[in-house]
Amino acid sequence: MENKEATQTQTFYSDKLKRAMHLLLFRRGKMPGAKEWELKEKVGKNFEQVLEQLNQLLSELDLEIRKVKERTPAYATQDGIPGDESRYYITLKGTLGLKEAKMIGWRIDNLAALAATLALLMSKQGKAPREDLEKLLANKFGRWKSITLVDIFLRTGYLEEDDAGVISLGWRTQSEIDLKELMTRMAEVKL
Amino acid sequence: MSKKAGKHSLAAGRRELKELVDTCDAIADRKFNPFFLDVKLGVETLRQFFPLWETFQDHCMDAHTLNRLSEVVRLQNTQLKFQSSALYADPEFIARKVERMSEKRLVEVLLHSWHPLAELEQLTEETVTDALNYWDALLPIAERWKKRQFIEGKPPSSTDAETLTGLGIQGEEFNKQIAQIYEELRTSCETSKFTNYWAFVRRSNYQETVRRAYFVSFLVTYGFAKLQTNDGNLSLVPVDHPTGKAASNSVSFPIPIPRSIEHGE
Repeated sequence: MENKEATQTQTFYSDKLKRAMHLLLFRRGKMPGAKEWELKEKVGKNFEQVLEQLNQLLSELDLEIRKVKERTPAYATQDGIPGDESRYYITLKGTLGLKEAKMIGWRIDNLAALAATLALLMSKQGKAPREDLEKLLANKFGRWKSITLVDIFLRTGYLEEDDAGVISLGWRTQSEIDLKELMTRMAEVKL
Repeated sequence: MSKKAGKHSLAAGRRELKELVDTCDAIADRKFNPFFLDVKLGVETLRQFFPLWETFQDHCMDAHTLNRLSEVVRLQNTQLKFQSSALYADPEFIARKVERMSEKRLVEVLLHSWHPLAELEQLTEETVTDALNYWDALLPIAERWKKRQFIEGKPPSSTDAETLTGLGIQGEEFNKQIAQIYEELRTSCETSKFTNYWAFVRRSNYQETVRRAYFVSFLVTYGFAKLQTNDGNLSLVPVDHPTGKAASNSVSFPIPIPRSIEHGE
């Protein structure tokens, strides 16, 4: 009898795990991952426990679930007041090697430019005018390339630009980059 | 007299407040360091001009300036907190490092802190619509190949003066035609200072239009005529005493010639 109950719980739980995994992996809108309310609705109130268990399974594959707080604009909330909402993503737990980074479609010079851009933005508290970024990149990678590079980072979500041309860190940077680690590594570099 | 001085101060006050707001906005847009502005001096300026304000707009401006100054104070506070955190690095220092680091070293720094997202791509309504639109707009393969054949020409090769003369792009005949076009341009500009480029160049025959545009390009390059824009229209002005030499600071200005005459302008 006990054994039967345990089996039922296990089946029920694995079903929830599957649902959570599908929500996190398959992109439905413009952004990957799943919002907190989606998980609550589809997986249940105890979704955090489900994610915890899923995380244990994923860690064996060098993957992990990451929770990122994102700012919800006023028009998207019921009360018309901007709010914070969490989004969950699956990211690589460890890091990639140089060859692996090339294999997933990134050019080495683009990655170098991304490192420079993020370091400069962080030194300016996460915001800088577009001209400042382009100037920095132009010195290193050439004038024309610098414009293209900023556009690439905007398109891929690593950066965001407002109407005044001020660039800030994008949603992808928040979810993929360990900024503290980046700045520490940058400071450690000896020239 | 005192009234006049008062008016002057009022105008100066409005100007100063505008400058103050502009500076605050530039700081908010991260163009300057928040400590670039002396907030105390800003508040003193507000206090100095406050008794002079006459209209409702003046008071609104005063309140707006105070609001912007408080934003700068907030940014100064954030800056101090940030400087005391582990993430702080001087922007100049970072810029210098980036300049001197190799690309490989920069990539290594990023790779140690990069945990890319894992996701699976699949068909969505949006991607299917994009694909269908692309497919609908795509020309049949035969058309595309035709276009390609049209574009493909002979590879560049060297030639001699005789061939060029034969083609009419060098020699006596060529000079005669250039002189003729130049005279034609001068005649068309007798009544007005300039003539419309397309009115001068276009003819009912496309080949003839291209030929005239070709000669006009020589006139412009060698200083026999000037190409100008008037209200967005291209116009030609003949030069009375041409040098006959290409200007050293000249720039290339390509003008596409559409096949349809109606679209010529």
